[in-house]
Amino acid sequence: MSTTAPTFESTRAGAAPGTSPTGDAGAGVLPVLAVDLVTAPPLLDGLAPLARGLEEAGIGALTLSDGGLHPIHVAAHLAPLTRGLGLLPRTDAVYVEPFHLATQLMSLDHISHGRAGWLLQAETDPSAAAAVGRDLLGLEATAREAADVLVAARRVWDSWAPDAVVRDTERGVYVDASRLQYADVEAETFSVRGPAITPRSPQGLLPVLVADTDRGAVGERASTELVDGRVLDLDVSGGARAEQLAARIASARDEGATGSASTVVRLVRLVGLDLEADPLGTARELAAELRARDLVSGTSAPGRTLRELLGLPEAPFDLDPARRADRARLTREESA
Amino acid sequence: MTTAQFPTLAESGLSPEAAELVTGPDEHPIHPEHTPTGQLAFGVFFQGVNSSTIWRLPSSGDQVAWESFETLIRTAERGKFAAFFLGEGLRLREHRGVPFELDVAGRPDAQTLLAALAAVTKDIGLVATQNTTYNDPVDLARRLQTLDLLSAGRAGWNIVTTDNAWTGENFRRGGYLDHADRYTHAEAFVQVAEQYWRGEQVAHDGAHYSVRAQGDLPRSAQGRPVLFQAGASPAGQDFAARTADVIFSPHGSLAAAVEFRRSIVERTVAAGRDPGSVKILPGAEIVLAPTEAEAEEKIRWVRDLQIGPEQAIALLEQYWGRDLSEFDPEGPLPDVPPEVVESGVTRGSGFQFAKAEELTRQWREEAAQKGQSILEFARAKSGSRRGAFTGSYDAVADRLVEFARLGAIDGLNITPWLIPSGLDDIVDHLIPRLQERGVYPTEYAGSTLRENLGLPPV
Repeated sequence: MSTTAPTFESTRAGAAPGTSPTGDAGAGVLPVLAVDLVTAPPLLDGLAPLARGLEEAGIGALTLSDGGLHPIHVAAHLAPLTRGLGLLPRTDAVYVEPFHLATQLMSLDHISHGRAGWLLQAETDPSAAAAVGRDLLGLEATAREAADVLVAARRVWDSWAPDAVVRDTERGVYVDASRLQYADVEAETFSVRGPAITPRSPQGLLPVLVADTDRGAVGERASTELVDGRVLDLDVSGGARAEQLAARIASARDEGATGSASTVVRLVRLVGLDLEADPLGTARELAAELRARDLVSGTSAPGRTLRELLGLPEAPFDLDPARRADRARLTREESA
Repeated sequence: MTTAQFPTLAESGLSPEAAELVTGPDEHPIHPEHTPTGQLAFGVFFQGVNSSTIWRLPSSGDQVAWESFETLIRTAERGKFAAFFLGEGLRLREHRGVPFELDVAGRPDAQTLLAALAAVTKDIGLVATQNTTYNDPVDLARRLQTLDLLSAGRAGWNIVTTDNAWTGENFRRGGYLDHADRYTHAEAFVQVAEQYWRGEQVAHDGAHYSVRAQGDLPRSAQGRPVLFQAGASPAGQDFAARTADVIFSPHGSLAAAVEFRRSIVERTVAAGRDPGSVKILPGAEIVLAPTEAEAEEKIRWVRDLQIGPEQAIALLEQYWGRDLSEFDPEGPLPDVPPEVVESGVTRGSGFQFAKAEELTRQWREEAAQKGQSILEFARAKSGSRRGAFTGSYDAVADRLVEFARLGAIDGLNITPWLIPSGLDDIVDHLIPRLQERGVYPTEYAGSTLRENLGLPPV
């Protein structure tokens, strides 16, 4: 298992980005190498050169973990400063307004031309609950709510058809209501009517992943059934040896090859990179070594969406007849 | 700052309309406690939805594309605009129970977009419209402070208090807040935000929720985000006078603007604040052309494109609460009674919940008296809500100089009617004329929004 040699050469054939990841087909797609940045205020000094430098060093995505500054804002700020990097804020799904969160994330996708993803997290810190005037949920309730919020966010993201904005000057119609649908989410602790106040974003459905460290709090349903794949966290805070990391990746990919789509390693996340000690040099070296072993995918390419980078198929759009946004008009027409 | 660098008001040849409004010496021409700075600051109000933005022209850009926003904000920064201001609506507008199809709809989240725009701009302020009813105060305060830090002190918050239960269907608490309580609630909300920004411990126990938090981010270069408020109704004006740094409700005429300034000065002084600490930048549309005649023609063209026959009928349907498609847009207002007690079906627009019976009767009379068709009436109504400045480059510049000299306003919050090129003629033709006349900055005064609006430090 713990070999440093590429293990999955054979299964890579035919698993080009964009093909369906159902079953083990996605297992052949190489994971994207990401660096985690913690959004503490000092990060702002030199943030732009750091992000650009990491991109040039061969890093494919950044995850933004909450260190005070809002991770979605920091991700948005980085969008025009970078070209092909995936941008995945790691943010709470529980002590939030699901509608706002969904809107913010799909807006990040617009701004970054389809490079946004969500590293879903579930807060267990009492201060997160107190800040929004709620009681801290128990473990099971937290997991249920995290899953419900993820489902709700996808309903909101999916509420405009890709061609809903018609700009029909002949009829004077800007948006076609028959191509919109309500979210109509009635969860245990919240409801969301929709449709989104933002048109469908480039990816439609943003990739949603859960970091290894967050799986326990997020719970079984969201972190295995609902997510788009697995994240492998590699702690490099005590220095990183490419050989050890390579072994971890190979072994995780091995496990993922036999499970469901959600066990496929899509993102390898370097956590705890020392920003004081030549982070770009370390990143460049690790990226080169892991790529040489064919364990992570090549450099991110401008113009490609994060779904493409991660080897996820294009998100489909299905109009649910029961949720059609023009249902009131249809009812009027039928009764007339 | 005083008006010492200018000729006296008498020497400067005020128009009869302006001269009539002067009630005091040059230092205090319209109110004894207000000293005009004689300077104007501009903001661009990117509404993003509603009929103000024309989408039917070949030059109408994509309403969501990053490139549209980037182009517009770069033009604004070239014109030394103080602020780039984004609107927000938390539920998609509906008409008779169906998403409204005739106007631009759908826009990115304001703060997420501004956090990105902060990366491609250097001086311009970044103002997000954010609701106090359907946000959590600590979360919103943290997001705004993040924006303020990302932009090195250029963030602003336009405080809105929409409270209807229909919008609440998108949020956890639903329609929990009574309309009458919206400003009390908003004020408590803003206090929580200010405590958080100061890095204090927040312990708020209100009628609707209790929150506990500890502010833990550093102060930004401007201390805290600049607070904007529309401040139109008397209760709104009082709220703004107590809380806001900038008020932006529209007043097209000089007389109305002077009256509004007096009202705000009174209320600001009553609230124990220096009247110079509340700036007034009314929302406005500007339609310019080389000559007056061309400008007249252009405003008609703009209104025609903003409000087509379908939109005119739809506007009336909101208040009549019934299908009016059988009526001719070129004909008189419908002579049938409304089917609803209260208006407000196309949510998110003005006049919500007006008494329909009374309003529709008034409108019929008004249109008949002016000899207006449905179309003409709808265009006039939508235009008058926006505070338009129309004319030749020189005429509009001269008019604005009078506004500045009397201290009626501190600037304008301009809604472009075309995206992304809608500021081009303002920046290329109006601003140079205002600069020549000494009422508009040639360079940014400082690096923060607060400095560029001429606001005192926090």
